[in-house]
Amino acid sequence: MERRYIASRIAQTIITLYAVLTLMWVLFRLVPGDPTAMFLSGRLSPEDVEAIRKLWGLDQPLHVQYFKYMKNLSMGDLGISFSYREPVLKVMLPALFNTLILMIPSILMAIVVGTLMGTNLGWKRGSARERIGVVLSLFVRSFPVFLTGIIVLMIFVHLLGWFPLGGMRTIGAFGLSWWERFLDVSHHLALPFGVAFLYYVGDVVVISRTSMLEMIGEEFLQFAKARGLSDKKVKKIAMRNAIIPVITYSTILIGFAFGGQVLLEVVFAWPGVGRLMVNSVQIHDYPVAQAAFFLMATAVIIANLLVDFSYGYLDPRISIQKR
Amino acid sequence: MGVWKRNLKLILHNPMGMFGVATLSTFALLAIFAPLIMPYDPMKCQYIDGELARLQPPSMHFLLGTTHFGRDVLSQVIIGSRVALIVGSLAAIFLTFIGTNIGLVAGYCGGRVDSLLMRLTDIAFGIPFIPFAFLLIALVGPSIWNIIIVISFLMWRTTARVIRSQVLSLKERPFITAAKVSGASHLRIMYVHILPNVLPMSFLYIALGIAWSTLSEASLSFLGIGDPRMISWGQMLYYAFITGSARTAWWYVLPPGICIALFVISAFMVGQAYEEVVNPRLRKRNS
Repeated sequence: MERRYIASRIAQTIITLYAVLTLMWVLFRLVPGDPTAMFLSGRLSPEDVEAIRKLWGLDQPLHVQYFKYMKNLSMGDLGISFSYREPVLKVMLPALFNTLILMIPSILMAIVVGTLMGTNLGWKRGSARERIGVVLSLFVRSFPVFLTGIIVLMIFVHLLGWFPLGGMRTIGAFGLSWWERFLDVSHHLALPFGVAFLYYVGDVVVISRTSMLEMIGEEFLQFAKARGLSDKKVKKIAMRNAIIPVITYSTILIGFAFGGQVLLEVVFAWPGVGRLMVNSVQIHDYPVAQAAFFLMATAVIIANLLVDFSYGYLDPRISIQKR
Repeated sequence: MGVWKRNLKLILHNPMGMFGVATLSTFALLAIFAPLIMPYDPMKCQYIDGELARLQPPSMHFLLGTTHFGRDVLSQVIIGSRVALIVGSLAAIFLTFIGTNIGLVAGYCGGRVDSLLMRLTDIAFGIPFIPFAFLLIALVGPSIWNIIIVISFLMWRTTARVIRSQVLSLKERPFITAAKVSGASHLRIMYVHILPNVLPMSFLYIALGIAWSTLSEASLSFLGIGDPRMISWGQMLYYAFITGSARTAWWYVLPPGICIALFVISAFMVGQAYEEVVNPRLRKRNS
């Protein structure tokens, strides 16, 4: 890939990040009233309120507050949590780790399994199996993820008792070996993982099927057939090329996954970033809520950048054009 | 308008399209005539023999049982179709309107305007929707209008990209050159010559937009920031979940849940059927 392309893409990413940060700053200034009114009890004297406003820099003009906010963020200072009384970063990192444990495996599996299923459906155009597959994936897509979660909890936890209710670890289980801890977390992970997979896979199936259908008329496939390759081999060539739209889609999927993640984490009481954000808003811990959103947006933007860079490797036509 | 009539006919000819149109119309009828159909006042706590009818399973009295607060589930589900319909249709129309205009202007003008608008679209794609909408609504206060505004504010992004790429290929076509030569203004070319050609695509995005917006509203309401003055399906699930009723009271969870899924799937099916109409490549050879 060309250097200039990479540089311009990175510059673009920084601009996007900057715009999202600014938007967030504006968003938190939309709160009716002053941030002090949010969590200071009314018992403070006006002089004390004034002192705190000064301490937090709220007495300064808006543009000064804005530059300070940007400066602090760029140095990795996300502020101090109102409720945990700790630096936000310290609260956020374990939550981010928990979110990724749930998200990365389910997205990867959805992409791999979904692409295999979708390309196979597309290859068998017009068969009964294809029709069923399409309707099924449409069905999966239309089911809100929290609903699937609630139903799964109802059946597998409350009715059958096969899985623990929410959370990530068994509460009060101390002195476990490394292996036992791994099993415990996996046991808690199984249900949210399954629901997340189902939620992501529908779109991947639909997209890879469509892109496979578009492959069917391509000249290089006709050529492969004319060379006398077996159907299996031709299909393999078609599949390799049908993957590219799936990669494009995965940029959208990652953004979309954080939305699903918020809902899933709430339903399964999974201690990740999404749940942290929802809980923080409920208890008016705005620095944490703000940082959680910032983290999710950054993850989406950076993931988009990485996916963009991976194109060149996947589709030789694109990298040649760029050169 | 012979084309539209033919398109509608083709949608209804498709079993999926037929199903989608029929279900959505049923929900519309439910929403309009809700006061006549509902057996009880959806917000009124019901009593049996002087005791609050808390979490009653379905019976002849309450066809779909009662909620944690002793309210009738069936009546709530019926009135809930109003929120789905209002948010679904209005947000879908707004986001398609914004997306089509941005795509049209970006594709037609090209150059700086194009790259500015497309960077704006990239930024919109960089914002994770549910977290953003949750924060915005939690901060400015929950209401059905805020939900509609935040959906329209962000979800135009896909429509804008698709419409732009259509406009890019359309503007090279001879009839546009002809219009230019005959002295038509840019505005006239955009809105009189190009727009009618991308409208079919825009209509597809209205159908998809209905599905997205309804899902978004349900998700946001489930997070507890639905309009407190209106009953929606997502909000019913929120209360079922936070009161712990969702553990066993299937009659409280399934009706609103199935309604959301049915509503969304119908909108997707209309979209799919419509796509087969406007994109003849997807149509089967012998139909």
